[in-house]
Order: sequence, then C-alpha cells, then structure tokens
Amino acid sequence: MARLRLPVLLFLVALVTLAPFVVMVLVAFAPPGGKTLPGAFDLTRATWENFSAVLSGADITRWAANSLVYSLVSVVLILLFSSMAGYAFAKKRFPGREVLFWSFLATLMVPFQATLIPYFVLVSRLGGVDTYWGLIVPTLANSQAVFLMRQFIAQLPDELFEAAKIDGASEWRIYTTVVVPLITPVLATLGVFVFLWHWNDFLWPLVIGQSSEMRTLTVGLATLEGENVPVNQIMAGATITVLPCLLVFGLLQRYLTDSIATTGLKA
Amino acid sequence: MTAGTAGERTAPTPEPVPVPGPPLPADRPTRPARRREARAGLLFVAPMLLLFAVFRFGPTIGAAFLSLTDYRLSGDWRFIGAENYARLLQDDLFWSSLGVTALYTLFFVPLTVGLSLGTALLLHRAVWLRGFFRGVFFLPYVTSIVLAAVIWKWIYDVEDGLLNAALGVLSLGPVDFLGDERLVLPSIAATSAWKGFGYSMLILLAGLQSIPREVTEAAVIDGATGWRRLRWVTLPLLRPVLFFVLVIEAIGAFQVFDAMYVMTAGGPVRASYSLVYLLYDTGFKFFDFGYASALGLVLFLVVLVFSLIQRRLIGRDE
Repeated sequence: MARLRLPVLLFLVALVTLAPFVVMVLVAFAPPGGKTLPGAFDLTRATWENFSAVLSGADITRWAANSLVYSLVSVVLILLFSSMAGYAFAKKRFPGREVLFWSFLATLMVPFQATLIPYFVLVSRLGGVDTYWGLIVPTLANSQAVFLMRQFIAQLPDELFEAAKIDGASEWRIYTTVVVPLITPVLATLGVFVFLWHWNDFLWPLVIGQSSEMRTLTVGLATLEGENVPVNQIMAGATITVLPCLLVFGLLQRYLTDSIATTGLKA
Repeated sequence: MTAGTAGERTAPTPEPVPVPGPPLPADRPTRPARRREARAGLLFVAPMLLLFAVFRFGPTIGAAFLSLTDYRLSGDWRFIGAENYARLLQDDLFWSSLGVTALYTLFFVPLTVGLSLGTALLLHRAVWLRGFFRGVFFLPYVTSIVLAAVIWKWIYDVEDGLLNAALGVLSLGPVDFLGDERLVLPSIAATSAWKGFGYSMLILLAGLQSIPREVTEAAVIDGATGWRRLRWVTLPLLRPVLFFVLVIEAIGAFQVFDAMYVMTAGGPVRASYSLVYLLYDTGFKFFDFGYASALGLVLFLVVLVFSLIQRRLIGRDE
C-alpha cells in the first residue's frame, strides 16, 4: 500500500493540474445556451458551433495574426541583435564594454510596470500607438537574451574565430559562418522562450494597441471576457489562444524544462 | 503573473561567467588591429545599444523625471517638485492598493512555493513516468495568465461554475469566491499559483538533484526517515534555492495586475485593486502621467528591497 502512495499522489496532482484545461475544452464544445453544467460533460452533443460563433462575432483571426506578427518578428530580431551583442561582449575588446554590459543587466532590476508610463509617453510621442513597430520595437531591448548569448559565446574557444580571421574572413562573415552555426542550439531555446513571452504578453499590447484591429489574442480574449459574450464562446476563444503554446510545448517540452533548470530563464 | 516587457521577469541577476582577459603580451595585437577589433565590437553591439538607450535607460530616467512633474496627455507639464509624493502619502487609494498587494503577496507566495516544493519532492522521488509528470505539472506555465484568469473565472462562478457545482453535490455553497471581499484575494492567488508554480518547481527540482546522494544516505543510516529527513537534512541543504524562489515569487506577486484586470476589475469594492492596477488606471484612465510615474517608483523601491534582502540572505548562506 505504501508503495502505491507516490504514484497515486502524482496522478492526483496531475489530474488537478489538467482539470482547468479539460473543462475549458469541454465547455468550448458544449451546445450553446442553457446551463453549461452538466451538459458540458455529454460528449455526444459536442459541437463546433461556439467556435464558428466566436470566429464570426469577434476579430479573432485578426488578433491571432497580430499575435503571430508580434511574436515571430520579435523572435527573429531579438535572436539577431542579442547574438550580435553577445558575441561582441564575449569576444571583442572595445572601450566601455564592461560598463555597458552591466548597465544592460541592471535594467533587469527595474520592473517593466515601474517605467510603463515614460515608456508609453515616449512611444506615443514617436507616433507608435496602434502601430506594429510601436508594439514590437520597444520590447526588443531584452537583457536576458543578451546575457544568455554572452554567457554561451564566452565559453567557445577563441581559436575558432582566430582561424577564420587568419583566412581573411570579414567580421560579419565570421559572425554568420562561424558564430551562428555554433550557437544554433541556444538560439533555438531562446527563440522558444521569446515566442512564449510575446505570445502571452498582456500589459504592453493592452496599452499600445488601442483599436480593436491592433489587439493581440491575449488582449482580445480579455476584452471578450469584459463584454457580454457567452461563456461557451469565451472558452472556444481561449482554446484557440492556447493552441500555439500547446504545440510549442508538445514539441519542445524536454528542451524547455531542461533549459530552465540550467539557465534560469523565466518565460 | 506577467511581469516585464513580454514577460521578461525582474529577477535577481546571476553571476556571469568571466570573459578571459587580454592575451599574453607575446601575442598582443598591433594598434591598428586593436582599433579594428574595437570598431567591430561597437558595431556588433550598436543595434542593441540603441534599443537599450532609447527604450530602457531613457524611460528609467524618464520615470524619475516625470514623477516630479504634472505631465498630462496633452504634453503640457510643469515642474512640481515632490508634490506627487506628498499627494501619495495622503491618498487612501494608494494605501489601500498597497495593502491589497501586500496581502495578495502573503497569500500567493506560500501557496506557490508550497506547491512547487511539494511537486518537486514528489518528482524527485518518482522513478516511474517522471518526465511525463514533470511535463504535465509544467504545462500551465507556458500559457498566459489571461487564459488562466478566463478559465478560473468560470470555475469560480457562483451560478454556473465548476467549483460550486461540486460543492452543490455535497449540498454546500454556493460560495461567491470572487464576489466576497475575504475570498477574492486567496482565490486569485490560487489561480496565479496554478499558472505559475511550474517554474519554481523546476528550479527546486534541480536544487534537490544537486544534493549529494551520500548526504541523504548517511541520514537514512542514522535512522532519519520520511518527515524528519526532509525537515533536518533536505530542507536545510535546499535553503539557498528556496530563498531564491521565495524572493522571485514575491517580486512577481507585487506586480500583480493581469489576473485582477480579467477576473474582478479590482472588485468587489477595490478588495482586489492592486498597486499596478492603480498605476494603470491613473495613467490610462485619468491620464495623470506624473502621479502614475510616482506610483511606479514606489513599485521599483519595493522590488529593489526584495532583491537586496535576497542578496543578503543568499550571501550569508554561502
């Protein structure tokens, strides 16, 4: 009996952890109207109706496209700029290197919300409200990414770069043909985190995207909740929102969990 | 809870690995070569440097500056000295939001750390399907707090929610989890804990796995088993990791906003109206940017104190 205690406990905790996702999907597929419980648990009556209702009633496809643009463009640019900066901080000597690196890191101590107002004032004065660049560009200054890149590149042996330099390769060529291939695994890990950070981000898209056309999926979902949308449709919307996260998670679960334990990256 | 820009967390910074110093004098590069290297280095950091200068350093200084003005949406402003801070001390809403945030932190941190520690201990002992369970427990963490809030709002619903349906079967309730002033903060804290415990769980699990096997085996030989081994051997060894996790969760808790925005809109009667919620309303409902910046500075100071406490505690421990 005592031997069974651990697996039973694990199984129960897993059940409780998954339950909210399960009820979300059940309510999303339940026939609309009337009481959701216990009707939601009658799988024979499952229907796509809520999905089509929420897709036609709200701008969900537009929001999903915004979320994709926000996440993917940020992934590409953050990976590019942070690996360039990380390479310079790790392998190049230039005046002010240490001061710069530490001041990049120091920004981690300042909570984003504490500077939300000047951030917004700045971007709105530059004309960035309700634009893609206003949404994306300010979020590219990511110190965790620079930190991770510098840490990893610092551990690569200098000889790799020296050899290419002796062969007469330009600095940019060394970066693209030597550095990038060597750091591909870290780029992949960081890319997943950046994708999740942006896909799940809320406060910045909320204040910068003021029209419905500029909302991301998380912001859109929150506004659905505020309007008088039936719960079945909200859960259908929620299910759509969570799909990319589940996809990323399903493909890269091991990768994600291992990298948190070794790097402390916080999604 | 989402914190930084795009979820970037305000976190105590780990120590970076040292970068090897300049090479030995024998192969010191020539002056033009060094200049070339410096130029290349600066060009490679240039894009990030520009982004940081404009969007990080600028707003940080800007926050302090704005808090000394009465900056409004129109762009008109006057320098008003410490007036915003004087107003803050008189503002009942500020004090109540600070109290709500502190109380929420008191509910959230033990709940999350308890859950993380419990699941980490279970996983540490598991042999069978460990990877599978680890993945399942981690799953809520990759979703957004808005999603968690939307689902749990329905779970807590008085008329139609899952929890009250379950209570109804036991002929209890109904309980208005989000409508009751005393229940609203623990209920929101439970939602955030469900969403967030996976991160601390992984950190604690890594900590558990780094405890040398001989130590726990020696304890078993000395007759320490089960609870006593946990209390007197495992937890003391885990202390630095536990402190790290406690502080990082407390920092996150103090920035709570998203869950309240979606689940309660700060209600009932401001019982879940947090500091960041007040900051958001002050800035984006009343467009009182100067005063909102002063609120932001208070948040910064609280987070700074948490980080310093952690430095202290972990420093002493090692």
